[in-house]
Amino acid sequence: MSFLNPSNGAWSILALLVALLLVLVTFVKFTRLWTVILIALLPILGVWTFVKAPEWGLWFPKDVSTHGAGMDSLFNLILWMVAITFVLTEVGLVWCVFRYHDKVPGKSLFTHGSHKLEMIWTAIPAVALLVIAFAQIGTFKQIKFEDHWPTGGPYSKDKPIAHVIAYQFAWLMRYPDANGSFDSVDVIESPFDFVVPVDTDIMFQLKSRDVLHSFFLPNLRLKQDAVPGMTIPMWFQATEVGEYDLICAELCGWGHYKMAGRLIVKSKPDYEKWLADKRAALKSNGTADLEAAE
Amino acid sequence: MSDPQPLRGRLAIAAGLFGLLLAACDPEPPRPELHYTLSADSKQLLADYPAAQDQLLGTLGMLFGSPSNPRYAVPEEWIDDERNPNDAWAELSEARQAELVAANKKAFATPLAALERGDFAAVEPAREALDLQAAWGEIRAGYDEIAAAMEAGTKSRTDLDKYVAENKADAIALFTDWYPSLRESAEMYRTQCLHCHGINGDGKGSTAEFLNPTPRDYQRGAFKWTALNEKARPRRADLYGVLENGVNGTAMLSFKRFSATQLEGLVDYVRLLSIRGETERNLAREDAEEGFKIEAVQEAYLDVWSKWDKSAEFVIAYDGEIPEATPEVIEHGRVLYNDATGANCVSCHGVGGLGDGPSAKEPDPNGGPVPISKKDDWGNPLGPRDLTQGIYRGGDRPIDLYRRLYAGINGTYMPAHSTIKDPQGNRKVTDEDLWAIVHYVRSLSKGKRL
Repeated sequence: MSFLNPSNGAWSILALLVALLLVLVTFVKFTRLWTVILIALLPILGVWTFVKAPEWGLWFPKDVSTHGAGMDSLFNLILWMVAITFVLTEVGLVWCVFRYHDKVPGKSLFTHGSHKLEMIWTAIPAVALLVIAFAQIGTFKQIKFEDHWPTGGPYSKDKPIAHVIAYQFAWLMRYPDANGSFDSVDVIESPFDFVVPVDTDIMFQLKSRDVLHSFFLPNLRLKQDAVPGMTIPMWFQATEVGEYDLICAELCGWGHYKMAGRLIVKSKPDYEKWLADKRAALKSNGTADLEAAE
Repeated sequence: MSDPQPLRGRLAIAAGLFGLLLAACDPEPPRPELHYTLSADSKQLLADYPAAQDQLLGTLGMLFGSPSNPRYAVPEEWIDDERNPNDAWAELSEARQAELVAANKKAFATPLAALERGDFAAVEPAREALDLQAAWGEIRAGYDEIAAAMEAGTKSRTDLDKYVAENKADAIALFTDWYPSLRESAEMYRTQCLHCHGINGDGKGSTAEFLNPTPRDYQRGAFKWTALNEKARPRRADLYGVLENGVNGTAMLSFKRFSATQLEGLVDYVRLLSIRGETERNLAREDAEEGFKIEAVQEAYLDVWSKWDKSAEFVIAYDGEIPEATPEVIEHGRVLYNDATGANCVSCHGVGGLGDGPSAKEPDPNGGPVPISKKDDWGNPLGPRDLTQGIYRGGDRPIDLYRRLYAGINGTYMPAHSTIKDPQGNRKVTDEDLWAIVHYVRSLSKGKRL
C-alpha cells in the first residue's frame, strides 16, 4: 500500500498518526500508564516529524540567495525556542498526569494567586520575545530597509531591472526600453518569466492591478505583498543559475492556485542576450511567421 | 473509562474508522467516464427532430470519440494519402520535434537521471501522461518482479542489472521522445482548461460565469488572437502563442509552467474541440430542415478540416522594415486615426483612445435614455478597447497591432482596414498609414501602462 509509505508526503504521515491514535483510543482502557503514554506520544511524534522532514522532502527548498542564510538562521532560532518550550511544557504535562492521577476521586485543592509564578511566566516570554525582536533586526534591515538597498550596481530604486505586475491570476514582468525608460512605448513585457542576471543586486518595483497579491520566491526566502495603488521597491541577489518558482502567497480569488510564475536566473551574457532578443522582437515584421509555415 | 464497551463493539468501530481512513487516502481515484454533449444552439435547431439529436451526437462520437478517448475519424481518401490527424507529431517540422525532445529532457530531468543511474524504482511519470504511465508501467513491472524475486533469494543482483541494461535505452527513449496522444492531452485539458472552457470547448465551464471577458468558445472555429487574415482558422503557432503568453488583461494566463510538449498536445486537443464544434454547428443547421442526413456528414467534416488545413496561407507579414516611430509619423497617425473618411478609429475608440467614441454603443431599441453595449459574435457585451491602458490582448509588438488593424478582430466590430477601398478600388488605408496608426496608438499608452 503505497500511501502507507511516509515518503508520499504530509498526507500519509497525518493519516498514519490519526490511524494510530484511533486504534489506541478504541482499544486501550485508560489506565494511568496508557494515558501517560498517549500524551507523551504527542511531543515524541511531533519532534520526530521535524527530525524526519528533510528526509521526506518536506523541508525548505534550496536557498540560492544572499538573504537566505539570514532568514533560515532566524527560522531555526525560533524553531529551537519553540521546540524547547514545547518539549518542556509537554514533559510538565505528562509529569502532572502521572503524579496527580488520583485513583480515588476526591475534592481538588484550590489555590488563588501566586506573585512569584506570575512574575516567572511574564518574564520568560518577555525575554524570549526580546531575543526574537533583537535577533531579527539585522536580517530585516538588510532585506527591507532603504539604506541597505543596492546603489552602486546596475539596478537601484530609480533604475529598477523591471516592474513586476500582479493581476488576477498571473505575473507580468515589464522591462525598460533600451534607454532605461519605463514610460516608453518600447518597454518589454514578459509574462510568467522573471529573468534576472546571476550574482547581481536586483532591484525591482512591485505593483498590483487589482487586489492584494503576494510575491513569493521560496528559493530566495523573499516574500512581499503587492498592494493595489502602491509601488513597492524590493531587492535580492540570486547566487545560482537556474529556474525557480514564483508564486502568489496571498489568497487573491478563485484562481489563486493557478497564479504561478518563474524566476529564471541567467548568467550575465545570457541575460543580455535574452533582453536583446526581446528588443529585436519588437522590430519583427512578421516574415519569420511566413518562413516557419513552410 | 470505568464502563468500557464490549471489546467486539469497539473492534467494529475501529475497523470501520480505519476503513474510512483507507478510503479517504485512495491516491488514485477512479477516472470518471466523460461524454460530449450537444450545444444548446444545436438542440434548439433540432427541437423538432428529437431522433436527429441522438443521431447527430452519435455521429460526432464516431468522428471525434469521447473526452475519455478522443480520436479523429480518418476518411478513406486520407488513408491513401497516408494522412492521419491522430498523429500530430508527424505534422510538426523537424526543428520543432527537436525542440520538443529538448523540452522533454528538461521536464523529465528527474526520472531521466534516475534511469541513467539504473534506479528504475525511483521513476514516476507525470500523472496526466496516461499512455506514458502505461508504457513505463510495463518496463517497471518486469523490474519489480525481478526485485521481488531477488528478495526471495531466487534471483540475483546480476539478473536485475541485466534487465536494467537491456531496457534502459527503451525507457529513456520513452521519456525523451514522448508526445502526448489526444487521450493524454484531453486529460491535461480536463485538469487545467475544462473549468473555464467546458468539456465541449464551448466556454461554459463552471468558473466561466465569474469571468469578464468570458472564456473563448472554440465551437465556432473563430479565434481572435491570430496572425492571420480573412478570419482564417488559427495555425498551431497561434494557439500555442496564447497558451504560452496568455492573454494580457484577461483570466487566460500563461501556461509556461508546463512543458512545450504538453502545450503542443493541448493545441491538438483544442483543435479537435474546435473542429468538432464547427462540424456540429454546420450539421445541425443542415439537419434543421428535414432531420438527420447521413450523406452530409463526411462533406461537413472534410469541409471544416479544409479550412484548418489552409490557415498558413493567411499569415499577415509586412514586406520590409517597420517605419520608425518619429514624431512626424505619430502625428500622421493621429490625423489618420481621427479621419472620419478613412480609418475612422475615432468613431469607436474616441478622441484620445479612451474607447468612448460615439459608435461604441447603440441606442436602446426600446427608446430608453441609456445606449446599450454592442455584442460580439458570441453574444457577449463588447466595448472598444481603451487604448490608453496599453493592455493589448493579442500581443504588444507593433506587428501584433498591425495585424489587428490589417485584418480586424474576428467576431467583433473591429474592421479589416486592408479591405476599405475608395471608388477606384485602391486601399484607403495603405500599409504606411497602418504603421502610422500603430505608432500613434502605441504612443497613447506612453507612461500609462499598469
